[in-house]
Amino acid sequence: MSDAAVQSLKSVLDQYELGGFFDEMFSTPHQPHPHYQTLYGQLSDLNPQLFDERRRAADASFLYQGITFTVYGDNDDGIERIFPFDLIPRIIPHREWAVIEKGLVQRVTALNQFLWDIYHDQRIIREKRIPTELVFGAKHYRREMIGLNVPQQIYSHIIGSDLIRDDHGNYLVLEDNLRSPSGVSYMLENRQAMKRTFARMFARYGVRAIDHYPQELLNTLHSVAPHHEADPNVVLLTPGIYNSAYFEHSFLARQMGIEIVEGRDLVVHDNKVFTRTVRGLKQVDVIYRRIDDEFLDPLGFRSDSTLGVAGLLNAYRAGNVTLANAIGTGVADDKAVYAYVPDMIRFYLAEEPILQNVPTYLGLRDDDRQYMLEHLDRLVVKSVNESGGYGMLIGPHATHAEREKFYDMIVANPRNFIAQPVISLSRHPTYFDGEIHGCHVDLRPYILCGEKITLVPGGLTRVALKRGSLVVNSSQGGGSKDTWVLQE
Amino acid sequence: MLSRVADSLFWMSRYIERAENITRILTINFNALLDMPMVDAAKSWRPLLAISGDLSLYEDLYPEINVRNVMDYTLWHVGNPNSVINCIVRVRENARSVREQISSEMWEHLNRLYHHLRSMNRDATRRSPHEFFTIVRDGSHAFQGITNTTMPHGEGYEFIQLGKYIERAGMTLRALDSKYATVNALPEGLPEASLHLIALLKSCSAFEAFRKSNGSQLQASRVAEFLLLSSEFPRAVRFCLQHCLDSVNAISGKESDVIRTVPDRQTPQRLFGKLNAELEYLDMQDVLDQSLVDYINDLFARINAAGDTITRSFFSTQVILPPPRGMAALQQSHQQQQQQQ
Repeated sequence: MSDAAVQSLKSVLDQYELGGFFDEMFSTPHQPHPHYQTLYGQLSDLNPQLFDERRRAADASFLYQGITFTVYGDNDDGIERIFPFDLIPRIIPHREWAVIEKGLVQRVTALNQFLWDIYHDQRIIREKRIPTELVFGAKHYRREMIGLNVPQQIYSHIIGSDLIRDDHGNYLVLEDNLRSPSGVSYMLENRQAMKRTFARMFARYGVRAIDHYPQELLNTLHSVAPHHEADPNVVLLTPGIYNSAYFEHSFLARQMGIEIVEGRDLVVHDNKVFTRTVRGLKQVDVIYRRIDDEFLDPLGFRSDSTLGVAGLLNAYRAGNVTLANAIGTGVADDKAVYAYVPDMIRFYLAEEPILQNVPTYLGLRDDDRQYMLEHLDRLVVKSVNESGGYGMLIGPHATHAEREKFYDMIVANPRNFIAQPVISLSRHPTYFDGEIHGCHVDLRPYILCGEKITLVPGGLTRVALKRGSLVVNSSQGGGSKDTWVLQE
Repeated sequence: MLSRVADSLFWMSRYIERAENITRILTINFNALLDMPMVDAAKSWRPLLAISGDLSLYEDLYPEINVRNVMDYTLWHVGNPNSVINCIVRVRENARSVREQISSEMWEHLNRLYHHLRSMNRDATRRSPHEFFTIVRDGSHAFQGITNTTMPHGEGYEFIQLGKYIERAGMTLRALDSKYATVNALPEGLPEASLHLIALLKSCSAFEAFRKSNGSQLQASRVAEFLLLSSEFPRAVRFCLQHCLDSVNAISGKESDVIRTVPDRQTPQRLFGKLNAELEYLDMQDVLDQSLVDYINDLFARINAAGDTITRSFFSTQVILPPPRGMAALQQSHQQQQQQQ
């Protein structure tokens, strides 16, 4: 394609191929879905050079603002990358969003009840609706939490569920991230970048606002403070500047106007948590922590943790501080426990699930395991406790040796593996290398659970930027798009 | 304000000031070398290396002293803790850890400065460092302006001022120390002495200011007096210490419930107050009658002691953890990485 010859993006868009996948933008070639019609028209008129310039300007602004994440394993230099951002937005019509919202509220309500149950009455286990060993054998099940009461019985305050769409366009839940889901800062920054870059296009569309997310997050954290403090002291606990999500930690703290602290800034005295300030100690009521459970308290968990606070667990047990999210929520994140979420909805809420799971085979069940082992070339196999695209096998794309390796691992530790059919994720037109490609996308809305359950309309749309790749995680070369939920 | 945050603001400020001072001193010497006939390059760079870095470390790393090596060492060498690039990296790391405390404008400016320097052709800067110098100097000046106009002038701002002025006072003293001995050893009236004095003044960007206040009297003692005792020139030691005291007073305030770990006799207020009172009433002739070089060294030590009390009263708390080093530091950065959901 010679740049000088092309006057508008139309010819580029016309070469776009659907490739047999469900496409977010097009129903058939050259024929966009109704809610994409305006965008299609405006993109078609756009000059590609201009588009490219704007894209570069957006990239530069991300770099200069330090909206970067760190990739490990490279050499020491150049470890910071921007999270690639695509200027073509993903659009979700109002009626679709209404279903997603209702489905997620239902889902997180059941999940929080499940967490309360397994750390208290364990009714779901006694009534044999979920295998005992699945819960107690989960890596992130925390015995320390048994019998402990958390404010409003909420364990997971901030949840980022990953949704995908199958080849019929149905939204399915791929996983529920109940520990500390990341990426919300990209959702907010992507929106800022789109407003800067395509103000007019944006204005015409009637996109619902998401900028109030930090305020909603702060409200949520306030609402779960212990002892109903009038003006609770909320802090954000970060592992430190070398954490790949540090930008996000600092961004959220800034947006909420709260202090960002490291473990060494906190001290526990008399079962109360304090920050060390230039004017002495100041008590903390709520900790929005972005540190894994096992690093929180060297006395309670890993003794070699340099990130945590000695005595924090006791202060927590004494009810003097709220942790968001609570300790031990990871058990519901376990990819094998995930398979039982539809049952949890039926059990706790006596409702049918609004959003479906991806069909899942459990290594734990004999029949499932048999099927898994016989069909490794057709399945996606995942280790139950990994995240970020680590520890998985995409059968059809894997080598024989890789499949053999997983075969042995599954036989050795069946509890630790699940398998799912390869879902042909929906695709979305995405601009890179001077062309528009169909790239697979998912959607991560953020759900806040406090006194009430809140979702800002939208989420982070992640996009797999390698041709044909199904993995959208930032650590595996994914990018993101702005997500527009339309007004009614 | 968190003690760690105050600490980071203070050091962020010190390091950018340090980077600026080092580049200014290098620029001046780089230019002065061109004017000085038959001068031995090594002899001229030696005191400068002593000011801006560690001379013995340099000698371990390079076989000889020449412009190219000196530039490599002072601008880029990662093994030199005070190389300009290391200073800027630390400015940025400190800023990054307190991003929510400083304004976005401040952060973006420092971040851009870092990326800009990192993207420069290192080899070209070793041969001709002027562009590098200009970027650092302008970057530091712009940072002062951005800080002044975008950050609330509260506690955090005062820690930034404190860091800047304490660093600057130290640098002016070092510059004076290194050149004064050289000039004093030269016979009176030699043009070379004037060149050294001009270089000294310029390395504190004091040449024009000195000229305006002292007319044509370019004498070593007057230069020393100006750099030590001016209350109007922003790089003079007295000016810097006045501002340190102002900031310390603003930070300490009237609060009586402050938890202090320092015995009362050693508060920053007291030490900076004493230094200020002394410089205010100092008679330069008394100092010159004794030994200016001794006086400078003594003053330098007392400023450092006052600086230590800042650390003890504001940055450390009763429970002091040793900073991680070696394996522990490595382990910490490894732990911080964690998988992202």
